[in-house]
Amino acid sequence: MRTRDVTALPEGALDAGGRRGGLGWLVPPMVFALLLLAWEGLVRALAVQSYLLPPPTAVARALLAEPGRFAGAAALSLEAALGGLVIATVSAFALAAVMAHSRPLERALYPPALLLKVMPIVAVYPLLTIWFGFGMWPKMLIAALLTFFPMLVNALVGLRSVDPAALDFFHALHASTWQVFWRLRLPSSLPYVFAALRISVPLSLIGAVVAEFLSGASGMGQVILIANGDFDTAVLFGAVFVLGALGVSLTALVSYLERRVLDWHESSRAV
Amino acid sequence: MTTAARPSAPAVAVRGLAHRYASGAGDVVALDGVDLHVEAGEFVSIVGPSGCGKTTLLRAVAGLLAPSEGSVAVFGGTPEAAQTAHALGLVSQDPGLLPWRSVEANVRLALELTGVTTDVPGLLARVGIAAFARHRPGELSGGMRQRVALARAIAHGPRLLLMDEPFGALDELSREVIRLELVRLWERDRPAVLFVTHAIREAVMLSDRVVVMSGLPGRMLDEIAIDLPRPRIESIESTAPFAALVDRVRAALRAGAHGDARGGV
Repeated sequence: MRTRDVTALPEGALDAGGRRGGLGWLVPPMVFALLLLAWEGLVRALAVQSYLLPPPTAVARALLAEPGRFAGAAALSLEAALGGLVIATVSAFALAAVMAHSRPLERALYPPALLLKVMPIVAVYPLLTIWFGFGMWPKMLIAALLTFFPMLVNALVGLRSVDPAALDFFHALHASTWQVFWRLRLPSSLPYVFAALRISVPLSLIGAVVAEFLSGASGMGQVILIANGDFDTAVLFGAVFVLGALGVSLTALVSYLERRVLDWHESSRAV
Repeated sequence: MTTAARPSAPAVAVRGLAHRYASGAGDVVALDGVDLHVEAGEFVSIVGPSGCGKTTLLRAVAGLLAPSEGSVAVFGGTPEAAQTAHALGLVSQDPGLLPWRSVEANVRLALELTGVTTDVPGLLARVGIAAFARHRPGELSGGMRQRVALARAIAHGPRLLLMDEPFGALDELSREVIRLELVRLWERDRPAVLFVTHAIREAVMLSDRVVVMSGLPGRMLDEIAIDLPRPRIESIESTAPFAALVDRVRAALRAGAHGDARGGV
């Protein structure tokens, strides 16, 4: 039920009964700690070879042995991922805005957009290095290629899912296309844009790391490539942990922004 | 004919209006041969069964739909000219508020789009929503949301208010309260009103004239002048003349329904 009794809603009432209250937030880290303990215990009890599966303590030692190397590589991967995400989000939203205004344009532009989606990045990457070298650009473009399509599809649906009664009101007052766009279509699309971002953020990291892995030039992809060649499984797992932490942090950041920006939307209401 | 609005022209002049919607099973005729006249400052209700094309008629007057046949003049010009002149105010059955804006900002939308300025707090007070100015629509009841939609529709001072079953989704108690407030607001500013409803008592209570329509295709059946004294207050609903007028409207609607039955389906 969407309607709330405004008079009977004291400040903070939602917090007391909602997810922020109590010790519920402790559960995920405790589960994670238990998994690490079980892993450590099993590796020791079964005397597993370290190059097959290193215990968490060995992974931690590998991380702490060269923290600067991991941090520097992670920063480069993060830069490529976020750069790609920005390129994809801006261009996909702009294209969606054009497509949302005209069905013929939508039909004309959809096939090339779909082509971007189905192109195997392993085939595209060499081409990008020929054009742009081994720096930041090909990495950002791979991350952008992976995240472009989810943003395009969601933004298009979002820009079209406008309350018809609100649209009638704008038209009855002779609102311009721009007024309708800024005051109605853009805000209406934001829940869909955030849904796309939650899919795109991990994808952009994957794109950046795959590009680094293919080039071997820099970033976490290079760390993985070298550790793989050395059979250094502890560093491999360390890289996985760093990337996992990055992905989780970025997703949490998107969720936080979503709750702040979409505080009017059903999706951010306490249940 | 000029497209510019003339002050002396009737608020609405519809002649020979017909509209067909294309559908998979052939065209659906929503309206057929409709004539309608609303004088400036006059309150006219359209009563008819569901699906009689009332909404189509209202959308044609608002310039939101180009009719298949016939002509629509608003203050002597085209509906588009009336839009441009900011002469129209629109309230639909669904309030169509912007959920990310506060009540006050929703009402201000009409001013942003038209460039008109007005005393917004005063307007919110007149419509009975001053206490909710900073709330979002999602925090309000259906009746309160419809009041916000009403305030937004009249904020820029339109000369023609188009209302499409605005209280249709409300419970009976809220309907009675908001109906009386609409009477009060209208008697103060006196815009022309075209009010679509299927509630007979509501139409009689509010209007100078009630137009009765038949269903599928929508045709004009009858026109009943409501010569009750103004200002209208709640107690008027229990008077004999009120009851007689309600009976007349109901009889006209029934005659239309029987006509449909004879026509066969």
